[in-house]
Amino acid sequence: MDVDLRNRIYAWFVEHGEAPAPEEVGADEAAFQRLHDEHALVLEPDSTEIRMLNPFSAVATPYRVETDGGSWYGNCVWDAFGIPAALGVDGHISTNCPYCGTPLEVDVVSGGRGRTTSSPTSWCRHGTGGTTSASPEAR
Amino acid sequence: MNLFRSEEHVARWLETNGYEAGATLSTEGICDLAQAWWGDRLDPNWQPHTLEQNQAILDGLGLTGEFWRLA
Repeated sequence: MDVDLRNRIYAWFVEHGEAPAPEEVGADEAAFQRLHDEHALVLEPDSTEIRMLNPFSAVATPYRVETDGGSWYGNCVWDAFGIPAALGVDGHISTNCPYCGTPLEVDVVSGGRGRTTSSPTSWCRHGTGGTTSASPEAR
Repeated sequence: MNLFRSEEHVARWLETNGYEAGATLSTEGICDLAQAWWGDRLDPNWQPHTLEQNQAILDGLGLTGEFWRLA
């Protein structure tokens, strides 16, 4: 794996708030495809546009994260909690209960404990059905 | 992974959609898991986690059993 390129892509994303094109990080489409094949990132189907830099999503999702440094989206709620952890900052997560649609707001103190407004319960399952994410081994 | 208003809503959602139950975590638990799993993701010296490292994270947080076994 080209870890240096992978790290440049992540650094670009955090700095600019959007995913880079290959040439913006001194790479080419084949290099992006290799990182995709090595599960370092996820490209859009039949494209070299980046969709996921776990835990970040490059597209809007129902898992929004606000930090002092910007607004982000996670690929699932686990990823949303992972964004403040990766950035080393506090964060605020906004999503909705998949059953009733109630807005759920969670404050996360980096490296500490989450404080919630409605005692939400996180839940995960294997498989890719419904609105759930892939299982842990996919990361 | 999703966030629910309550465990009751987890159960209702499972039943409504016909999904098999997975595992539930408190928000405190998912904070701990996220910190351990993603905390080094932007480290300039980041290296890919091995399966053994990831399994050790889960085991260290007491996330054991078939659901949390990676291989």
